[in-house]
Order: sequence, then C-alpha cells, then structure tokens
Amino acid sequence: MRDDTSIVWRAIGGLFVVFLLSPLALVVLFAFTSRAQSAFPIEALSLHWWGAMFADANFAPAFWNSLVISGTVGILSALVGTMAAMGLARLEPARAYLVTTLLCLPLMLPPLVLGVALLSFYSRANIPMGRQTVIMSHLLFALPFVVLIVYARLRNFDYRVVESARDLGASPLRAFLTVTLPIIRPTVVGAALIAMALSLDDFVITYFTIGKGMTLPTFVFNMIRSALTPKANAVGTLILFMTVGTTPIALWLTRYRG
Amino acid sequence: MRERRTTVLLLAPALGIFGILFVLPLIYFFVISFWRVVLFKLKPDFTFVNYGQVYDQHTATLAFTLSLAFIVAALTTALGFIYAYLIRFKAGRWGPALLFIALITLFGGYLMKIYSWMTILGITGVLNTALLALGIIDEPLPWLFYNAGAVVVTLINFLLPIAILPIYGSMRGITDIELEAARDLGAGGWRSFSDIVVPRCHTGTMAGFALCFLLAAGDYLTPQLVGGKVNMIGVQISAQFGGIFNPPMGSAMSFVTVGASIAVVVLAIFMLTRWRPR
Repeated sequence: MRDDTSIVWRAIGGLFVVFLLSPLALVVLFAFTSRAQSAFPIEALSLHWWGAMFADANFAPAFWNSLVISGTVGILSALVGTMAAMGLARLEPARAYLVTTLLCLPLMLPPLVLGVALLSFYSRANIPMGRQTVIMSHLLFALPFVVLIVYARLRNFDYRVVESARDLGASPLRAFLTVTLPIIRPTVVGAALIAMALSLDDFVITYFTIGKGMTLPTFVFNMIRSALTPKANAVGTLILFMTVGTTPIALWLTRYRG
Repeated sequence: MRERRTTVLLLAPALGIFGILFVLPLIYFFVISFWRVVLFKLKPDFTFVNYGQVYDQHTATLAFTLSLAFIVAALTTALGFIYAYLIRFKAGRWGPALLFIALITLFGGYLMKIYSWMTILGITGVLNTALLALGIIDEPLPWLFYNAGAVVVTLINFLLPIAILPIYGSMRGITDIELEAARDLGAGGWRSFSDIVVPRCHTGTMAGFALCFLLAAGDYLTPQLVGGKVNMIGVQISAQFGGIFNPPMGSAMSFVTVGASIAVVVLAIFMLTRWRPR
C-alpha cells in the first residue's frame, strides 16, 4: 500500500469514528457539568445532575421498570430463541432460511408502525397496558437477534460430541444439558445480553405500549421535551452505560461479528 | 416422525410469538383502516374514507418524507459502504476496532443520539460555541438547527451502523484469492473493485439501503426533536394515537407509508441491479 493512500484512509476512518462516537461521548461529558445547560464551556466537573436524577420521584420507578422489563425480555428471548435456533438447526438450510426471514420481519417495519399496531391490538384484546405489554412487544424485536446469533453458533457445532453422549446412553435431554448447553452457553448468555440492551434502549415501542408507567428512555424523553438540563444527560449516561456497556461483554461472549 | 415432532415443538414458541404478537396485530391494524371513529370509539365499517383522506391531506407530507428518506438512505448506504470497505481492505489491524465501534453504536443510544444532536446543533450548541470561540463566526448560526438538514444528519448518524453491518457481512465473503486472481489476469484496482467487490456486496448493500429507507421514512422522533417545522409522515401518524385519537386514520397512513416505501425500495433496487459501474 502506498503511504499517501494510507494517510487518506486513516483520515476517513478518523472522521467516521468521530461522527459515530462523539454524540454519545458528548452525552456522557455534559452529565458531569456544573452548569445548568448541556453546552460548552464546562466550568467545573460536578455530580450535581446525578443527585438531581436520583432525587426525581419518577426515577426509581422508571429504573425498576427498565430492569424488570429488560431482565424478563433477556431471559424469555434466550429461552425461546435458543429453542428456535435448535429447531432451525434440524431443518434443511433453505427452510431454516425461510423461518429466520419470517422471524426477522418485525425488524423491517418502522418501530412506530409496530408500536401503534400493538397499541391498537392490546386495547382491542383488553390486555391492560403496563410492563407485561412492553415485555411482549420487546420479545418481537429481541427474539430474532437471539435466534440469528445462536443459530450461527449451532451451524458450526461439532455434533459428534452429542452423538458420543447419546451412544454412551445419555437421554436427549441429558445430552443437551451436559454436552450441548455448556458448549453454547457463552453464546446464549451473550445473545441474552444483546436482547436486554435492545429492550433497555427501546423508546418508541415502549412509549406506545406501556400505558401510564415509565422506563428510563420514556423518563428521559419527558425531560427532553420540557426543559433541556444536564439531568437528561445523567439519565442518558446511565442508559448508555447499561446498553453500550453490556454490548462489549456480549460480543466477547458470542464472538458475534455482524 | 418423532424427530420431526421435536423440531416443530422447538420452533413452536418463537413462531407462536410471531403469529400472536405480529401477524395478528397487523391484520387487526389493517382491518381498522377501513373503520371509523364515532365519539372516541372505533366503529366497524367498510369505508375507504381514511385512504381518501390520506390522499387529500397528506400526499405532500408523504412525498416529502419519502424523498428525505431516499436521500438519507442513499447517503447512509454510500457511507456504510466506505466504512465497510475500510474495515475489510484498508484498516489492517484497526479493522476489528472499527467493526466493534459499529456494533456498539448499533445496539444502544437511539434516543440519546437524537438528544445529543440537539445539544450539538442548537443556538448555544457545541458547534456554534466552537465556531464562535475559534472566531470563525461572530454570532451563532441559527440555520444549523430545526430544519431538514439537521434531520438528515441525525438520521444518518443513527442509521449508519445498520447500513455498515450487512454490507460488511457480504464484503467479508470476498477472499484475497479472488482479488489476486483478478490482478494476475490484468485487472487494475478500479476494475477489480467494480467487477468483484461491488457485485459481491450487492445483497448486503441492498439490504442496508432497504432497512435505512424504511426506518427513516417511519421515524417520528427525529423530526419532532431536531426538525422544528419539518413535517414528516411519522409525526402525523403518532398524532392520530394521541390527542386527535383517530386510529383508523393512523392505520391507513401507516399502510400507505409502508407500502409506498416498499415500492420505492423495490424500484431503487431494480434500477441499481441494472446499473453497473464501469
């Protein structure tokens, strides 16, 4: 590679990184300002807005809702998604491709349309809106990710180890619990973490299907709409820490690369 | 036979969720687009009046939304292609780090990214403060914010990872052997790029474009928060489920928007399939 082209590519790469990361970095930076505005100059670093966040009466319920919802979505989508991935691994590839495409359809629809469709459906079906409806809705978009990730792992899985276990007299369930599961466990845990991150980060579908309650993203949305103070940055930083923070762990566990 | 039953049982919960929480709600949501609202209650009917109203009142907004989404999707796909190319061919040992950045920005921060662009582009925002401090401008530039440009930049920012990943996915499949073979047969850099890299990334590029287009056309938060008076169809759709309360209208608007978006995407893909850079 000639040196001048490599410098150009380095500059392009740098610009991309700045473009992708600086909005997130600014959110975090302004969470620690002492001023009343999320703007430069930052006169002094302060934890004032974090105190304001904890003092807000809506914070604790929103935080708790977020934890319960994303935790449940993580566990359920890991369970259902792993089962589905194992089912897919038993199908011939063309059929499996068809089923995965089907399961991915909810990701192709704009979240707004999915959100208002679910809202209409829940009110028609008389399902009271709250955490339960948000959990059900989040499963729709979290599940495809778990299925794709675990299925990708199962496709280069050495089935001879399971066959050995079966030949040695293990029941299918026992073979699964003692051989298959320990091998794919990191992938499943990582996929569950990604499902949790997606659930935690979701605003649009939550907004339409939660009824009266709040999660961290809807809590921060109310702040952004009323007055722009760094309190929104503190909540935002917390959300980012919980989503962007868990993703590296998930990526490391799943070895998932897109 | 038993084998088959196990497969079905394993897939059943996932397909059940898909059927009950996706197919069923969408069918119901489609049906109500032919209903009416009487005294704040949905009334079953079979009328095309909602679709007529979408045509009468929202055609301009829809056309504007689709053109904006087209610009956003085209730019995002082009940038995503460059980024993927950078990871695969130019970044060397930095490749994994760049891919990692694309992945972490994919999984988190939708609302925070939009919020951050408010603090970047606003009158007292980061950009204006920086330009003032550097002495490049004397007073804040008001035109950075609350316009279509701000919406485009914000949308590109959070859609970029969604474009990068499918394109990179197909680019990863290109082996160095193919490129070396092309070079040995006398193909120059541009020739192997246009005859190998671009066609091999076709599926990923189209998938990235389609996703970006649909998500941009259906977004309502970005125009609301950084767009000011910029009116996109999503803002109108969400309003039908708030104070206005006209879900049948919102449903008709949703289906027209998604239908029109799919039409544009199919047309764009069809035209791009015929075109090859030379």
